[in-house]
Amino acid sequence: MRATAIARLAARGVDAVRGAVARVREARRWPARRVRIERFGAIVQMIAPRALVFVDRAMARQVGVTADAHGATMPEPALWAGPETELGELPLSAPLEAHLQLTNRCDAGCQGCYTGASAEGAPGEWGLAEWTRAIDELADAGVFHVALGGGESATLPWLGALADHARRRGIIPNLTTSGLAGLDALLAISDRFGQINVSLDGLGATYAQVRGFDGFARADAAIRRLRAAKREVGINVVVTRHNFDELDALFAYAADHRLSELELLRFKPSGRGARAYDQLRCSDAQHRAFLPTILAAAKRHAVRVKVDCSYTPMLAHHRPDRALLAQLAVYGCTGGDFLIGAKPAGQLTACSFAAPPPALAGLRPKVSELRAYWDAPDAFGAFRRWRDAAPPCATCAYHALCRGGCKVVSAHVTGDLAAPDPECPRVVDHRAAAPARVRLPVV
Amino acid sequence: MRRGKILAIKWGMNPNSSSLGVDVTFLLAGATVLAVITPIVGALLRWRKPAAR
Repeated sequence: MRATAIARLAARGVDAVRGAVARVREARRWPARRVRIERFGAIVQMIAPRALVFVDRAMARQVGVTADAHGATMPEPALWAGPETELGELPLSAPLEAHLQLTNRCDAGCQGCYTGASAEGAPGEWGLAEWTRAIDELADAGVFHVALGGGESATLPWLGALADHARRRGIIPNLTTSGLAGLDALLAISDRFGQINVSLDGLGATYAQVRGFDGFARADAAIRRLRAAKREVGINVVVTRHNFDELDALFAYAADHRLSELELLRFKPSGRGARAYDQLRCSDAQHRAFLPTILAAAKRHAVRVKVDCSYTPMLAHHRPDRALLAQLAVYGCTGGDFLIGAKPAGQLTACSFAAPPPALAGLRPKVSELRAYWDAPDAFGAFRRWRDAAPPCATCAYHALCRGGCKVVSAHVTGDLAAPDPECPRVVDHRAAAPARVRLPVV
Repeated sequence: MRRGKILAIKWGMNPNSSSLGVDVTFLLAGATVLAVITPIVGALLRWRKPAAR
């Protein structure tokens, strides 16, 4: 047992070193954006290790972001004319990443698909020319990464060309795929992507239980072939009440396949997921057990674990050190701030699950008009008004990080985007103590 | 001159096109390990300075 653990850690170390060397080479071929000025200081991108580092103004000066290529000091950035703010006090000057739903075409028909993807796709879907202009806009705004998804983006014949364009503009493209279609074409262009994750919502029969059809063997084969071609391959797991007890086995799967990460996603009531929500969402007991369960599994199997922003209330439930969470940039809902989404016809959204924001002055922006919309008063509506919180969020010590939890879940369950996340254990306890009008039963 | 500070480090990249993923593996190790790693990241940043804004 101990020998297995040591061997596994050694394999991870070898993978990490080889990955770092490959990424340094990759950065020479496709130099990525290194720095962006912010009111609090700057964000600096590192390639090996991979990280976005948020620094204050003094540190930004020390690392040379106010110097030109020859080391000569330049005038202070215009954004620094005002007082130095705290990280999170104001929206960033642009998103860190943009989530582009390149298409809504997909034949899989998963029962919980958050976009409601279909074989026909969405009306008016953009093509390569429009998405190329969108990448230009994102690059000019200072975006670091794009996450490309669908539908099934791997089937798009121009996916490689778009990824190439993003690289040329200093943006690192990342990709999520089901692994069920377009695999051969994706293998040929896999080197363009920073990270590729395959959606795997369960092992064997559980996959069918969650998704509504038996696709495990195909997804498993895709993971094996992608991993043979590329080191930065992981899995995305939408956690449901059916696969929660299988989480440890999914970590073991990730370790056995030498995957670079396992990312856990909370089930969202969006698209076809709205209908399947009551059957698939985790129970309150599972939410409370989430953090200790995944940390134990990560430790046991030596697998790197990421969780999506909507899980922050379930992390806060265990009262972790707030300073540590802040240092790890663990935030709840940062839609319309750290991230944005775009629908297949280019409509800008605060996040991929959200509907397009209310029109401002008659403008319903496209992602290719991001900069014109970003600083508009009341841009992204409730997503940026998270400070106007109702109890119990208003008195929660973690509210500045959590920002009220997942607004998409709130909107579905309570009808109010700005309501406290009804699945947050603190909110559940608060409502149990003072019965309210929420129709979500505690299960 | 005041010594600068690293405010936060967001590790890795996010391929997930539906939400922002954050690496919580460090919660296993706790603040001590991060306190060791943060100065190393600071040194790396100073060593390889970004060339332009």
